[in-house]
Amino acid sequence: MAVRHLNVEVRLEPNVAVLDMMGEINGFAEEALNTAYAEADAKDTKTILLNFEGVDYINSTGIALIVGLLAKARASHKRLLACNLSDHYVEIFQITRLSDFMSVLPDEQSALIEASVS
Amino acid sequence: MTNPKPARADADLKRTLAEFSVPSERGNERLAMDTVAEAVKDLDIHGENLERLKTAVAEATMNAMEHGNNYRAESPVLIEVSASYTQLSVKITDEGSGPPAFHAETPDLEAKLEGMQTPLGWGLFLIKSMVDDMDVTGDEHHHTVELILHLDGQAEGGK
Repeated sequence: MAVRHLNVEVRLEPNVAVLDMMGEINGFAEEALNTAYAEADAKDTKTILLNFEGVDYINSTGIALIVGLLAKARASHKRLLACNLSDHYVEIFQITRLSDFMSVLPDEQSALIEASVS
Repeated sequence: MTNPKPARADADLKRTLAEFSVPSERGNERLAMDTVAEAVKDLDIHGENLERLKTAVAEATMNAMEHGNNYRAESPVLIEVSASYTQLSVKITDEGSGPPAFHAETPDLEAKLEGMQTPLGWGLFLIKSMVDDMDVTGDEHHHTVELILHLDGQAEGGK
């Protein structure tokens, strides 16, 4: 089975930089994820949204990469949000406590509203 | 990957659903988890329970490929899936020696965000969170991690 390498596109919504992720978040994803995060960070918004709509697999190394993004966001006083996670990965974000440190929203619209009111 | 063998009934009422191996190459944990999911398709393990099993299998296989076999492709990870009337078992065996290697430290996200712990080290934590029980054995030639799910009288072979 071929690994679906992560592809990330960055776009700007009002006050929010969005990372649209497609593929698998695993050890192969480090460079794509960090490069895209740096691009999003440079857009100088207070909030960065991780859109997991195109992601069908996250392993423990991928969790570690997301922890790394969260640490960067905290260091630069930015808010990190997540949306479009499957129910299974919402559970994993809960048991790892990632969802204690980044709001997990069901879809992009909810996330953009969340970003605009806080 | 070797082909999964057809199911056979054991005298002790434990039914082997699949036996297969995957080369220790990055990304093959997905092959393992999808093959296990196919092997248990006739059991009543669906939805979130199936996703939890798949995550546990993927993480245990990754650990076996990385720490047991050092990602040597010629060193396979062996996977045996069996079920009794009350229990599903997935045994994942590598060619490592000594105690199986897992990050011993319980992951603490706050400590990781503060740089006091490595961001890595979620594998064992995820496995334990996803299955009902887990057993780890090892000798000088192999490590085996057994993942256990309690069933509610689903496997045909156990009655």
